[in-house]
Amino acid sequence: MPLPASPRHKKLTFLTSLSLPSPFVGEVPGSFMRIAMLGWEFPPFISGGLGVHCFELTQRLASMGHSVDFYMPLSGKPLSSPHPSIRLIETSPTILKPYFAFNKKGKLATYGEGLIKVVEVYNEQAARMLAAEHAKTPYDVIHCHDWLTASGGSRSRRLISRPLVQTFHSTEFDRTSTPWDAIVRIERQAAADADLIIAVSKRTRELIARHLGADERKIRVVYNGVDASKYRPPPGEAGASGAQSKTGGPAAGSQISSDFGSPADASVSFAKPALSVQTEGKHIVLFLGRLTEQKGPVQFLHAAKKVLEKRPDTLFFIAGSGELMPLLISLSMELGLQDHVRFLGYLPEDDQRRIYRAADVYVMPSTSEPFGITALEALASGTPVILSKTSGVGEVVKSALKVDFWDIHGMAQKIISIIQYAPLRKTMVEMAPNDLAHLTWEQTAQQTLAVYEEAVRSFKRPN
Amino acid sequence: MKVCFYFQVHQPMRLAPFSIFAPDGGEQTSMFERYFDHALNRQILEKVARKCYLPTNALLLEALEKNPDLKLAFSITGVFLEQARLYMPEVVDSFSSLAKTGRVEFLSETYYHSLSSLFAEKTEFEEQVKLHRAAIAPFAQTPSVFRNTEAMFSNDIAYWAERMGYAGVMTEGLDQMLGWRSPTYTYKVKGCSSIRALLRHYKLSDDIGYRFSQKSWSEWPLTADKFASWLSATPGDCVNLFMDYETFGEHHWEDTGIFAFLRQLFPEISKHRHLSFATPGEVARTIAPQGEVDMPHVISWADMERDTSAWLGNDMQRAAFAELTGLEKPIKALGDDDLLRTWRHLQNSDHLYYCCTKSLSDQDVHNYFSPYESPFDSFINYMNVLQDLKAQVKKREKK
Repeated sequence: MPLPASPRHKKLTFLTSLSLPSPFVGEVPGSFMRIAMLGWEFPPFISGGLGVHCFELTQRLASMGHSVDFYMPLSGKPLSSPHPSIRLIETSPTILKPYFAFNKKGKLATYGEGLIKVVEVYNEQAARMLAAEHAKTPYDVIHCHDWLTASGGSRSRRLISRPLVQTFHSTEFDRTSTPWDAIVRIERQAAADADLIIAVSKRTRELIARHLGADERKIRVVYNGVDASKYRPPPGEAGASGAQSKTGGPAAGSQISSDFGSPADASVSFAKPALSVQTEGKHIVLFLGRLTEQKGPVQFLHAAKKVLEKRPDTLFFIAGSGELMPLLISLSMELGLQDHVRFLGYLPEDDQRRIYRAADVYVMPSTSEPFGITALEALASGTPVILSKTSGVGEVVKSALKVDFWDIHGMAQKIISIIQYAPLRKTMVEMAPNDLAHLTWEQTAQQTLAVYEEAVRSFKRPN
Repeated sequence: MKVCFYFQVHQPMRLAPFSIFAPDGGEQTSMFERYFDHALNRQILEKVARKCYLPTNALLLEALEKNPDLKLAFSITGVFLEQARLYMPEVVDSFSSLAKTGRVEFLSETYYHSLSSLFAEKTEFEEQVKLHRAAIAPFAQTPSVFRNTEAMFSNDIAYWAERMGYAGVMTEGLDQMLGWRSPTYTYKVKGCSSIRALLRHYKLSDDIGYRFSQKSWSEWPLTADKFASWLSATPGDCVNLFMDYETFGEHHWEDTGIFAFLRQLFPEISKHRHLSFATPGEVARTIAPQGEVDMPHVISWADMERDTSAWLGNDMQRAAFAELTGLEKPIKALGDDDLLRTWRHLQNSDHLYYCCTKSLSDQDVHNYFSPYESPFDSFINYMNVLQDLKAQVKKREKK
């Protein structure tokens, strides 16, 4: 597939014409970097934090003047680059579905060891294409994300002798309580091969050092951000009654402009976006994330049961899909919650934004959350947030309540408090902008760039 | 020039974690037992007593013997005395020994370290001041200077204190109130006739209270002779050094040299001929005022703002305070001692202080003192207790 010309030379010419002295001499070729990034997903195909991160990061890097070649598996769908300095380069077709489809059952039953092989095919091919591109116009740095693209990074590093930066958005130890050896091996190798490692939180840094044997001195923490303007309630929005109830007196019930299924429809089922929602007089508690053990939806349901003892006027929305869906549906019936729990399935971005704003409380009960971008999205939406203490985002957010994921009692008490105490809601929502002010993708990009520069500066070319 | 030392002694009665799901305790339950974390309060009192109260009291007793002209003052809250009597009576005894020297004065304040001076009606405030006077009576003290909770002060509060017969009222030497004037004089108060305002010299007080152990401070290490020379070079009639007693051994640990500093400070001050010691009562009675202060709204010595925002600055604090004040009439109407005492302990300003959400440097001070993970958690617990108390009151009203 012919690739569009790299914009790098143009940028450099521009620089030269202004006769600006380059701050970098020797190893770093110019002010603007040429970055080879190995990724997995990119809008419109996003299933998790990794995709959001890559999308936001590449755009910020591009606006800062750098150019990014983003390698990813062939999606079979039309893709368009969000910026002229970002090239999306698709490799081989793969049978792999988006990230969240990897589950314990799936791995063993459907893919088994085959999964690793398919991932390897992508990585081999990506590395080959990357080396070919490098021969035409050299890269300054290679950046890959998580275990899925790790071997491609290591391979590329050997092929083109450029420094490798590896980001861990999560480790196998976060995703499951029974880590899969094959993936742990890949992660250990990635941690060993990378010149510098980016961890999305201090918590992740510790996990990488402890479980993956990485040298802590080469790990840098770069937090994720949020584009708050995307989530801020537009003035005069119909759903703003939800926002009012969050800051004003007792919630008089939220009107959701789009539709997520009717609580009057008592059976637990997937929401049908065409149904109208009656949430009048009810408080909405939201879970949004993949339905996997890691995200804590089971704890969420148990807390819901407890909340309903005191506040029967509460609805629990579960947005997202995943391996635990059948279990959660039966559990909700076992607990007698069928009238109060709605499973919304996977929501597209627009609906996500609306549901964040419609909620009175957002709960992120993850058992192990390397970062937790959704918490920032909820905060930006003006919704009070309850976080599990085992989350990276908890390290940098002060305007949320924090609870141990196993503390069902505590979680329920905090949900009730937010519903019950209007001044608490108001103060939490008012404090959120203080947190968000320093959690932007611009910051993430700048700090990531600093890691690239450090990697380039200290890179010793093998003889 | 008079050097006037006064130390504030207080420990809050901290709440136990109180769950929204807590079962109703039934008829016989004491609300006082139900809400407060008596084990934690005992533990903290014992810890601070060992680090601060007992060693500092011993040090001061010795200093009073060695320095015949030395005079000091304390203000000890009722909440503190109540806990000390319960958990560690020797702490009370050691304050008695100081009182017996006849050169240690005790100030008047509210028993419950409360914001009752801000209630619409002054009845509760007056009752708490009376309770406090009774609590310090065993120290053979008839206080003549009033110190409101956290040095809260206004023309109104001064006027009230004057009517109650106090000769002086102490507060912060706030720049906004003084303008170009110095805190080293006594002042009349607008609208009052005889009462004197005694103003804390915050710079010199905080040199000991906050900066003493800060290695980044340009004057570190602070020595007794250096500090005495600063006092000596300060113009005015009196310098009021007011600070938390926990400064000694608790805020600054023993290894910072704080005890050695304090021990040497008194003889160093005496070396300067024109410096002598006086109690707040003596300052109020003997030093002629050099003007008048006018404070129409309430100030305090807390945080950067020096107003009431540390306790009533956000909606959570104001909501909790409204719940609290709303319970006065129903509780007093019931005439139940346990309920009344519990409600009064809940008025302790610390409960509201833990709910403060000020960011930046002040928040750190709040965090330092708070037993909660966040101001939100503090509010939830405090509000849960207030709601439960309200329910208990309603239940009893129905009978």
